[in-house]
Amino acid sequence: MRHVCSIKGTSSECSEVITCPFWQPLRCMSSFPPTALPSVVCRPGRQQSTGPSEPGAFQPPPKSVIVDKRCLPGQETRFLSPEFIPPRGRTDPLKFKLERKEMLERRKVLCIPELYVGSILRVTTADLYASGKTSQFLGICIQRSGSGLGATFILRNTIERQGVEICFELYNPRVQEIQVVKLEKRLDDGLLYLRDALPEYSTFDVNMKPVSLEAGQEVPVNKLKVKMEPRPWSKRWERPKFNIKGIGFDLHLTEEQMKEAQKWSQPWLEFDMMREHDTSKIEAEIWEEIQASKNS
Amino acid sequence: MRGWRLLTQAGAQVLGRSSGSLSAALPPPSGNRTNICLRGKNGTWWDEHLSEENVPFVKQLVSNEDKVQLASKLCPLQDEPWPIQPWEPGSSRVGLIALKLGMMPLWTKDGQKHVVTLLQVQDCHVVKYTSKENHNGKMAALHAGGKTASRFQLGLLPKQKVQIFRVTDNAVIKPGPPLYAAHFRPGQYVDVTGKTIGKGVEGIMKRWGFKGQPATHGQTKTHRRPGAISTGDVARVWPGTKMPGRMGNVARTTYGLKVWRINTKLNIIYVNGSVPGHKNGLVKVRDSKLPAFKDFCKNLPFPTYFPDRDEEELPEDLYDKNVWQSSEPSITFA
Repeated sequence: MRHVCSIKGTSSECSEVITCPFWQPLRCMSSFPPTALPSVVCRPGRQQSTGPSEPGAFQPPPKSVIVDKRCLPGQETRFLSPEFIPPRGRTDPLKFKLERKEMLERRKVLCIPELYVGSILRVTTADLYASGKTSQFLGICIQRSGSGLGATFILRNTIERQGVEICFELYNPRVQEIQVVKLEKRLDDGLLYLRDALPEYSTFDVNMKPVSLEAGQEVPVNKLKVKMEPRPWSKRWERPKFNIKGIGFDLHLTEEQMKEAQKWSQPWLEFDMMREHDTSKIEAEIWEEIQASKNS
Repeated sequence: MRGWRLLTQAGAQVLGRSSGSLSAALPPPSGNRTNICLRGKNGTWWDEHLSEENVPFVKQLVSNEDKVQLASKLCPLQDEPWPIQPWEPGSSRVGLIALKLGMMPLWTKDGQKHVVTLLQVQDCHVVKYTSKENHNGKMAALHAGGKTASRFQLGLLPKQKVQIFRVTDNAVIKPGPPLYAAHFRPGQYVDVTGKTIGKGVEGIMKRWGFKGQPATHGQTKTHRRPGAISTGDVARVWPGTKMPGRMGNVARTTYGLKVWRINTKLNIIYVNGSVPGHKNGLVKVRDSKLPAFKDFCKNLPFPTYFPDRDEEELPEDLYDKNVWQSSEPSITFA
């Protein structure tokens, strides 16, 4: 059987060779290993009762119960979701405390996993007008914005050659499940340039199986350089203010054009002391609040 | 030069005036208030003649005294308050002065998202009572003061903002007791008045919403101008014509805002929509005067909420019946 992969252009290759009688042995260009077991504890479920079996007869393997370890209460992840950190301003810290209290209470009910820009997620929401009253959407997270209860993330996918982006709210009560299908980071904090990239970079199989990560492994960084559509783009991604490392500019821009783009660079910005904002104290307070709410 | 702040204390016969309306020269209050340091006439400030070590000491002393004064007024029963009269149709009760903290999303049980403003009631006390005849002949007035300000402007515990609430005679409260957020209940509608954010001098497109002119098609230097300001026959410009000028920093009211939730412990009111003013600004909150919500205060604490008089203690959070709380499970449409 030919294994159809919807993701191309990745650097990794799996080592397995699929052979079958009618085709040449194929190298499977897939980005995830076929042995897709999520970070699990595989417990044998109910045994198949097949009656008196012969010693050489085929016995189907016992069904395993898949449990996603990352959302269990015992897991220690020192990842502070960015919407907990309040934006800079003259707001009373009491207001942020109240918001964080609400957010932590919601997190006790719904498991919101750690997600980065570049990870592939599947979100199940309650929808009044869908059959079965729920709708699912899978896509790559291209942006995370907002702080506090109104924090959002945008998922992008291509469905029947039409690019679709949906902005979900993390703390909306209609969100029933957020499942991280593939946890990884990209070279940039925002992947809005995928709108101007070739559609293959935004296409993901809707029925993708979750990819496992070892418990102690760090989040992998996908150093993919994306190929773009011919210019003009929706934004001038080559300019230094966007600071994009994930586009292969050498295929689309000449050296002269790159030099021209550097004219808009602002090298004094990194030395600007008024823009410095140390959040370590606020983060320490927030961790204490999280610990206190976990214990209570 | 800083503006004048009020000198108020409940239970004593002190003149009370609304803030911001004082002229530069005023007769000093009578009799026993001799320890007032008034700025402006002398040109001195409170720590001019204090040595450096004494400044933090005096600050600490003063803040302790302030706390004692505030705490002592928490029990109106010590002062023999006026009798509580029952509600009658057509009566209106006091409002509150609150601080605008910020805004937050809120979801209802059917999955709709609304935005709420948090208003915190900090040290709101009833400060003065003016009877019907003294005020304007129709209704009595109660002065309520908002956030406590620094006492180094004046001698005693002043309030940062004092507002007048016109009340009917059966809703009068003796000056003294503090007002709490539980004075309002979820599900009722309020009007909120505040000073809008000042924008300075603004053009007509922002100030009055004019459309301006197109960006292209031959327009010479005319993209945000008013165009014509009057007709030809009148041969003058009507007074009051909309023109550029100072915008904002004016008292405005938003009517008919629903109260979704009340936090009795921190005295915070969650009010639907937006409210005039910037964050940490003081606003005046009162029961809605819209005809749709007339006689709404039937089931509300009248004349106000006294925590020590009521036997039942209110829970920490009071919600409207449609509000979805974070501890509830996710919404499903069955």
